[in-house]
Amino acid sequence: MTASRDPDRLIQHFLAEGAEHLQDQVYDAVRADIEQQRQRAVIGPWRMPIMNKLVPIGVAAAAVVVALVVGTRLLGPPASSGVGAVPSVQASLAPSPTAAPSAVTPSATVRGNAPGPFVFKGVGDGPDITVTIPAPGWYGEQPDGGTLVKNDKSDPPDGSGMIGPWYGPLYVYGDPCQWSTTSPKAPVTTVDGLVAALTAQKSRDASAPVDITVDGYSGKSIILHVPDDASFGKCDQGRFGSWDIAAGTNDGPDRYHQGPGQIDELVILNVSGKLMVFDAGYYAGTPAGDLAELHAILDSMTFKK
Amino acid sequence: MQDGLVEQAQRGDAEAFDSLARMVGDRCLAIAVRILRDVDLAEDAVQAALITAWIELRTLRDPSRFEPWLHRILTNACYAEARRRRRWSEGLRILPVAGASASDEYLTVDDRDLLERAFRRLTTQQRAVLVFHHYLGLSISEVAERTGLPIGTAKSRLHNATKALRASIEADARGTVPSQERLA
Repeated sequence: MTASRDPDRLIQHFLAEGAEHLQDQVYDAVRADIEQQRQRAVIGPWRMPIMNKLVPIGVAAAAVVVALVVGTRLLGPPASSGVGAVPSVQASLAPSPTAAPSAVTPSATVRGNAPGPFVFKGVGDGPDITVTIPAPGWYGEQPDGGTLVKNDKSDPPDGSGMIGPWYGPLYVYGDPCQWSTTSPKAPVTTVDGLVAALTAQKSRDASAPVDITVDGYSGKSIILHVPDDASFGKCDQGRFGSWDIAAGTNDGPDRYHQGPGQIDELVILNVSGKLMVFDAGYYAGTPAGDLAELHAILDSMTFKK
Repeated sequence: MQDGLVEQAQRGDAEAFDSLARMVGDRCLAIAVRILRDVDLAEDAVQAALITAWIELRTLRDPSRFEPWLHRILTNACYAEARRRRRWSEGLRILPVAGASASDEYLTVDDRDLLERAFRRLTTQQRAVLVFHHYLGLSISEVAERTGLPIGTAKSRLHNATKALRASIEADARGTVPSQERLA
């Protein structure tokens, strides 16, 4: 070989030679393996925008919810089901549609079809959680927990949806942007532990937690934010993440956020001694009607017991 | 069709993923063989990449980006296999890549021998950018996407890899490469 020959062409000819057929045994091995492997649940296929200007709304909403919780406790017994005490922007934005009871078998997948029940399959030995979709336009996915997204639109500026459940233990990052180096050694396993870890998380502007009871299970709700000026490109692997379900796997956060300004309302419960969390997310531009529907869905949560 | 299979597989349809794997498997193997210079290792890398892709498939937001996304996983799998090989195979003699053809009149037997040795002296990361650029014919930005590098880094790595390959070939032709470096 001489140096005078075009090196690019030599490389191309050299690389043109070589095996190009993958043996059937490899496909068979992959098939056998994936039959045993669960796909990683993606928490948060929806994206959300804006934030600081929503802080007052969130704070106001939290205040309204606190008032509702206190009022409920003073004036009457809590509802037998639902998340009526979840800090809910609906209280300040729009009335919640009534979730009509239904005898229809809960669906595991919905594609913008008619209102009705939807089931979030229990992860591991966790119970199935059924919600009622109050209006058309909601898209749901299963298994391993699930997502419900309005109009199948998770992007800013007006998407909305919910996702879950996660069960503890959860490893809450100290810094959601620099998550790869701020994963704790020990996970949180309790409602209070998760609230404390999220409240301490850098840049989340967390609301004060509010006591809630959902279908007989007690817990807390909290509102978190992704800063308006968050630059995901500067975050580890381009992701802004809240937590991981298994430390040290190096596969990134299990709950990662999709854009600056995301607002997350978390429902955190003690379900038969086990930490459980749902995340409802939306944006400043999310229509009030969609938000009301989202809260109606949260309100309708019932656990299979 | 591929997008539909991706969407089905994202919903947990193993049959759809199997079909998808068979659509892209040959190309994955071709890439891995050329990066790793070893068919057995390449098969292991492709297998690992496909399994990872199945597990992580729901993180892929745009089904039409499946193959670039898979290639990035494959690249990482190749790096992992290369690290594994380094631990196990010090001192092994160079063997030609299985399936190599001798029908290319542009390359002589000596050319292939020199290129093979020179290629093996490159780092796995250097080989990866050369393979994506020269074998798949991808642009620098596409190479960057598949290797997880910033575009500028991909460009300089390609330049340095080509330079190193050429220097290695020339040194080998002059007989100045230490014998130990001839080992894979």
